[in-house]
Amino acid sequence: MDSVSKQALEYLTEVEEAAEDVLSTKQQIVDLDMKRNRNREALHALKHEMPDEEKVKVCFGNMFIKFSKSKTQEMIQKDQEQLEKEINDLRRELKAKVKCLNDTEGKPELRGYNLSPLSADELKAVNSLLKR
Amino acid sequence: MATTKVPEVRDITRIERIGAHSHIRGLGLDDALEPRQVSQGMVGQLASRRAAGVILEMIKDGHIAGRAVLIAGQPGTGKTAIAMGIAQSLGLDTPFTALAGSEIFSLEMSKTEALSQAFRKAIGVRIKEETEIIEGEVVEIQIDRPATGTGSKVGKLTLKTTEMETIYDLGNKMIDSLSKEKVQAGDVITIDKATGKISKLGRSFTRARDYDAMGAQTQFVQCPEGELQKRKEVVHTVSLHEIDVINSRTQGFLALFSGDTGEIKSEVREQINAKVCEWREEGKAEIIPGVLFIDEVHMLDMECFSFLNRALESDLSPVLIMATNRGITRIRGTNYQSPHGIPIDLLDRLLIIATSPYTEKETKQILKIRCEEEDVELSEEAHTVLTRIGMETSLRYAIQLISTAGLVCRKRKGTEVQVEDIKRVYSLFLDEARSSQYMKEYQDSFLFNETQSAAMDTS
Repeated sequence: MDSVSKQALEYLTEVEEAAEDVLSTKQQIVDLDMKRNRNREALHALKHEMPDEEKVKVCFGNMFIKFSKSKTQEMIQKDQEQLEKEINDLRRELKAKVKCLNDTEGKPELRGYNLSPLSADELKAVNSLLKR
Repeated sequence: MATTKVPEVRDITRIERIGAHSHIRGLGLDDALEPRQVSQGMVGQLASRRAAGVILEMIKDGHIAGRAVLIAGQPGTGKTAIAMGIAQSLGLDTPFTALAGSEIFSLEMSKTEALSQAFRKAIGVRIKEETEIIEGEVVEIQIDRPATGTGSKVGKLTLKTTEMETIYDLGNKMIDSLSKEKVQAGDVITIDKATGKISKLGRSFTRARDYDAMGAQTQFVQCPEGELQKRKEVVHTVSLHEIDVINSRTQGFLALFSGDTGEIKSEVREQINAKVCEWREEGKAEIIPGVLFIDEVHMLDMECFSFLNRALESDLSPVLIMATNRGITRIRGTNYQSPHGIPIDLLDRLLIIATSPYTEKETKQILKIRCEEEDVELSEEAHTVLTRIGMETSLRYAIQLISTAGLVCRKRKGTEVQVEDIKRVYSLFLDEARSSQYMKEYQDSFLFNETQSAAMDTS
């Protein structure tokens, strides 16, 4: 292989890797959100559809374990917080990765997306401008 | 619910009138900033276009702010065309404000107020809005009404994306807003997490065959991809002037009634400046210095020029582009003569781009472009004749003849404008030179002819 096609191949590999990175992060966010929604459903079911004193069967891997209701709720709650945090982290990472992909592809970077968002109050103040 | 929401109909087709510079699409430069002879509606003026291109690049990179450029040249040499070219190539995000020098003289507003509004219209502020939304296709809505008829309703909403599906339990409020929006299975909706606001995006393609007849405004969309709970980030660009206006409105309702803004208190401006600077320090806003274009800048008077001098020094200042067709003339509001009618101290701060008269070949090319723009077909001979007219009278006069000759041609049911059509409109409409000739001949029979000796005073 001559040096030019080798260079091209190297460049393409680089782009593909960056793109793969973006895609896998996206998929990870989807998976975590799916888990988050399932947890939310479970929490709701526990709250409304179960008498307080009854124990619930919780599935760990391929085993069901009986737990008290309050304990289960606590566990899921903790899990939710953890998930929330992870999703936020992944979203932040995703931004950096998209930027990296744009760089390697030679596209202009997205303008203004690195800004921190306005707070709700500030948004309300300028809202009439934005909803045109 | 008694209130029915009128669907917002957005008109996409914009009626564009054919303006004097509507054929300009950009500066016509290649990547190395070399001007192409004919490109993007621009013809000739290579040196000035290149100069404008250099300035354009600096504006785009945001390197310069508070600078001023003067485009000077004889009438009809493409000064406004170059400014329009800069505006077109700046892109949507960079604010561009154009005004004519005489526009600032108004009874409702002081000159400096009009100028400061124009300055602030040319400065953009980029801000970001971030919302958590739930977006998905409705699989099923199930609402249980209590048997007694009163009391709280409960319900379940099943939403899905291409990747997942989940059930949400609904409270009273959500049920109300769902039925208000007439959401049904198969709709794609978003729910704003913070406010609970529901908006319908359209119907899912997979449910397109659910009904045989559907309203024309039914929009079909794809089932959303990815996660259900998304973060939506929108970047907005607003001008400082727009922020000024809403803030002066909340204080006094006078502005609401007069239609436009009226004058804006300097305290309001200072507050806005402080807020925007605070946002910038917190990383919440970016300031985009745009371009303010003042055509016929010799119409400004001494006060305005000193205001400009001062305004350019401010740290929130756009790039100022001015155009004039005057030579050495009196500065308005004084008895001093100065080049371009602009005081020397301001002139000293300017980068000056000169435009030169078009050659015959270039004139021919411009007329051709204008013909295409105005949808008039011109025969080869008529084109040559029109070019001659353009060279001998003025380019503007020749351009005026295009549409009029087109009308004459259409009236005789021709498809192509011939030399006779040009001749006819040439005899119908006088150019400037022939008009003054006529004046000289018949001056005595006009009214008020005794004022002939007094020199015309433009100011």
